[in-house]
Amino acid sequence: MSNKQNLFTRLTNPKYIMVYATIGIFFIIYALGGILYGDKGFLTVRTFVNLFIDNAYFGISAVGMTMVLITGGIDLSVGAVASLTGMFIAYGTSVLNLHPLTCIAAALVMGVGLGLLMGWVIHYLNVPAFITTLTGMFLARGVCSLISRESIDIHHPMIDALAGWKIYLMKYADGRWIKIKPIAFINFNVILFLVMIIIGAFILQRTRFGRNIYAIGGNEQSAALMGLPVGRTKILVYGFNGLCSVLAGISYALYVKSGWNLSLQGGELEVITCAVIGGTLLTGGVGYMAGTLFGVLLKSVIPALITFNGNLLSWWGKIATGLLLLLFICIQRFVVTTSDRKQK
Amino acid sequence: MDKNILEMKGITIQFPGVKALDGVDFSLRAGEIHSLLGENGAGKSTLIKCLTGVNKMDAGKILLDGKEIAPTDPGNAIELGISAVFQEINLCPNLSVAENIFVGRQPMKHGQINWNEINKRASELMSRFHLDIDVTRPLSYYSTAIQQMTSIARAVDIQAKILILDEPTSSLDENEVQLLFSVMHELKAAGMGIIFITHFLDQIYAVSDRMTILRNGHLVGTYNIDELTKFELVTKMVGKDMDVIFSLKRAEVAPDADYMLKAEHIGDASKINDISINVKKGELVGFAGLLGSGRTETAEMLFGATRTVKGDIYIDGEKIILRQPFDAIKADIAFCPEDRKRDGIIGDLSIRENIMLAVQSRKGFMKPMTRQEQTELANKYIKMLGIATPDCEKKAGELSGGNQQKVILARWMAASPKVLILDEPTRGIDIGAKAEIQRLMLEMCGEGVSVIFISSEFDEIIRCSNRIVIMRDRAKVTEVKGEICTQQDILKIIAEGAA
Amino acid sequence: MSERRYDFSSLMQSKVTWAVIAELLILLVCFVIRPDFFSISYQPSTGMLYGSLIDIVNRSAEITIISMGMTLVIALGGTDLSVGALVAVAGAIALKFLRWDVLTYTTPGDYTVYPYILVLGVPLVVCALMGLFNGFLVAKGGIQPIIATLILMVCGRGVAQILTDGKQFTTGYSPFRIIGQGSFLYLPMPIIITIVVVLAVAIFTRKTAFGAFVESVGVNPSASKLSGIKAANVILIVFMITGLLSGIAGLIYSSRIMSNDSNNAGLNFEMDAILAVVIGGTNMSGGKFSLAGTVVGSLIIRTIVTFVYYFGIVAEATMAFKALIIAVVIVLQSEPVRKYFAKRAALRQGGARA
Repeated sequence: MSNKQNLFTRLTNPKYIMVYATIGIFFIIYALGGILYGDKGFLTVRTFVNLFIDNAYFGISAVGMTMVLITGGIDLSVGAVASLTGMFIAYGTSVLNLHPLTCIAAALVMGVGLGLLMGWVIHYLNVPAFITTLTGMFLARGVCSLISRESIDIHHPMIDALAGWKIYLMKYADGRWIKIKPIAFINFNVILFLVMIIIGAFILQRTRFGRNIYAIGGNEQSAALMGLPVGRTKILVYGFNGLCSVLAGISYALYVKSGWNLSLQGGELEVITCAVIGGTLLTGGVGYMAGTLFGVLLKSVIPALITFNGNLLSWWGKIATGLLLLLFICIQRFVVTTSDRKQK
Repeated sequence: MDKNILEMKGITIQFPGVKALDGVDFSLRAGEIHSLLGENGAGKSTLIKCLTGVNKMDAGKILLDGKEIAPTDPGNAIELGISAVFQEINLCPNLSVAENIFVGRQPMKHGQINWNEINKRASELMSRFHLDIDVTRPLSYYSTAIQQMTSIARAVDIQAKILILDEPTSSLDENEVQLLFSVMHELKAAGMGIIFITHFLDQIYAVSDRMTILRNGHLVGTYNIDELTKFELVTKMVGKDMDVIFSLKRAEVAPDADYMLKAEHIGDASKINDISINVKKGELVGFAGLLGSGRTETAEMLFGATRTVKGDIYIDGEKIILRQPFDAIKADIAFCPEDRKRDGIIGDLSIRENIMLAVQSRKGFMKPMTRQEQTELANKYIKMLGIATPDCEKKAGELSGGNQQKVILARWMAASPKVLILDEPTRGIDIGAKAEIQRLMLEMCGEGVSVIFISSEFDEIIRCSNRIVIMRDRAKVTEVKGEICTQQDILKIIAEGAA
Repeated sequence: MSERRYDFSSLMQSKVTWAVIAELLILLVCFVIRPDFFSISYQPSTGMLYGSLIDIVNRSAEITIISMGMTLVIALGGTDLSVGALVAVAGAIALKFLRWDVLTYTTPGDYTVYPYILVLGVPLVVCALMGLFNGFLVAKGGIQPIIATLILMVCGRGVAQILTDGKQFTTGYSPFRIIGQGSFLYLPMPIIITIVVVLAVAIFTRKTAFGAFVESVGVNPSASKLSGIKAANVILIVFMITGLLSGIAGLIYSSRIMSNDSNNAGLNFEMDAILAVVIGGTNMSGGKFSLAGTVVGSLIIRTIVTFVYYFGIVAEATMAFKALIIAVVIVLQSEPVRKYFAKRAALRQGGARA
């Protein structure tokens, strides 16, 4: 066979099936929304861009979570760490009068440090990731509450500027650029989200570190016997995920402009759900950033649909997400069993 | 060519309760294929793991090219120039074939992994093994043989000074083995030292220059290949006379004995075709055939582990329907599966629990055996089968392969079956335990149990069976009598497809 | 049976030992700081005993009950994330039957709209069925338990909200109050229910061969099936038990507050239950389980919280404090640390003999 593969055979590699399923179902649901609520403006660029704006913080966190899940681990601390980051910024700027960058630096040290520590405990003390990161979650939440039990507003020129910064989407008409109607824009959070997805994809596909992540998820023992640095890779992955949690926390702080000890409660499971419906296997070894990107979009298009309907209780969103999860799990199951059969 | 590239001196490794290796010396020359021999538990794998940094040694030293080394982990060993293919395939099923060969040492370009280079070089490597496959597909997409070849390709490509092959041929067919041998000869000619471990005596004589024999963690000796005959070799490995194997007598079956098991035209289009088999009371029927000939599939169908789509099965003249293994156990059928680790032993449970399992599952969980009954049962079989353990509470997973097999055998003997199906019960266990298991099998026949015995080793089948069913291409070719059959006969039938 | 040797080294290797030591240490600290921590008094007006120890056991009831099921799930090598959501579902259904239509029955009072048997029975049946649904996905669908139960975890609370139209009902029905606030034999009712549940699960698993089957399937499902165990049935039963127990915990919880709270009822219960099981010495990869250990684990978690309340440590610190103590327990229980202590113990023993 030829060494230089053409694009078609590369793209039809069965390992991408789940990603295609995510993208396909996203567009089906999106089209469905278009048919039902097209007249209310569901298909406008603004609605589409809002999917990004309203969920960027989940997306940023999902980048790190995808990597953790690919190693076969799990991280339950992300919501609490993001919340703690928000508290750092809010308490630091509003109460201690520190510069936001100082607060962010402190949050980065905290988040990455906790991530590395948890990775160390998971690898060297052999404590299940679920338990280690659950303890990490309790710790971060506890510190949140120690700082303050009240929601603190963030007022700082730099934060305001960053939160208010936006690029309007333009179109070219009558010989000049004008803002499209209804007005749509992307902000710092959206850019951060997309940049993190690209960085994540680069790490996973183009670096040895990224490939070691897949190898560990495929079979940790084999990875060790092949001479790969298993311990280092795992610890760094949790550290990177800590970084993503902090960035998600910053992004959330910019989004709501406040810090609250109970914010993003249960956020870790939303993030895991995004990754799973994006085709990442919780058993490890499989997952792509493109899938995660569409997983985030798919998960966020449901609340959007419910808002457009206007009559439904928001709780239907949870049920729909659950059903979506069920659907994906069934597809995954089907894909796995059929590829198993092919082998024989 | 007499220069030693590797010297291991006085290697001692202590595991809780046992000395896995006790002052073992080993040396390897450049451009040599050196076989490492011994029964299971003799310490071969431990020695290899010590060399690759998986196990730490408690005493002794390793000299590589005259310099003392102490590999800390497999990555470190690879850097030192020691590359290994382990017994079980140690690759990542989710990565592509190409990536499995190169992961950890991918060629880079502009700070990025050069995927084109990886795929190109992997294709070239695989074609060296005459494998023309799409190396970008995930490893799990391919057969065990190709996976094994991939792990060999990885080890070879590392360009090490020392290559360790631990049972590399167990899942390869004859052609693939020959290919592997020719690659080994090439590498040998290029000056690499190769350590080769296998259970197949013929392969040792076919390829190696010297051999080192271990027994119970002690060194027996190192010999040139022409110094020992096979018989002497086996005697040295086992440390006692092998008369016991040759003194086995076939089961005696009364000519008018009733058929205990009758399977008529059973099959399932995707697995086996229309097979009819019958076994008399107290008879031992062997299934001979190559891997993939349908012997395991037939056994699984007779036990209800896979559904029978068509055909009927009778036990003692009564028709039975097998939907799941439980139904077979109810009908007094027992089955020791091929893959002991995956399908047989329940490693974290005690020997007692492993033995009582089949009896208990037959009763259902609402009618439990008391602890005392379980212990008595377990102790009875530990004694009867000579299972080497301090007590019945030891974890079954901590036993050696042969003892694990005995535990599984005990599980089924305790269920007092009428039909016992044994799929490769002697694979990967040492000769002493092999003989023991064959003796037990024949004893059970003597007590009126009908036994179906599956093995890849035809001499073993011929020695024990009353009748031999020969299978090929998922179908039964013919049946021959055990007494008047030779290995050549079986091979001929399998090759030509007819009696 | 008496042949089994319990020497010091193997005792130090056991995780349960460490859990018990940890619990005793925490209690010891309590005793040193406030000797009256252990005092128990009798209140004739309610017919109940009072005291911190009673309170710890009483308040740990929900987690202990759920973690009995969780122990079995974890012994199978899985986790059940849906238990907290099921607690909310049970409460929502119970209150729905007590009040049914808040527009007609505008004031909460000592009445029930539907027969009491339905108020108690329907939530339990629904929770057991939801557990069965989890089990079905795992046993028949071959789906990893953590994912299979994630589904109900995500949509369970949604179901609870929709059942009650997103509203919070309250009730004053006195038979319902007994479950969470009543007493029997001087003890708070939740303790009695807990004891009954623990005994029932213990008898069901250890006096039949069910426990051995669970352990066997947890270690090696394939080999268990080939030994004749109907693994699918074992899985279904375990998940159904866990669902049912979550329902019982849900009833206790809503009886304590005499209301339904679909947002907060059972929040993080799955996490606490899993922690209790793991601290209690059952391995998350499945296999041998210890119900007694789980009870100790659950008590540890509650003791920490009570400790914080009792000694007036700022309530905000509870979570952080809990995390720190759990971290210590988990590190002490981790394999390398246990091996280290076992080795030292063995050395000391060897030295004594020589």
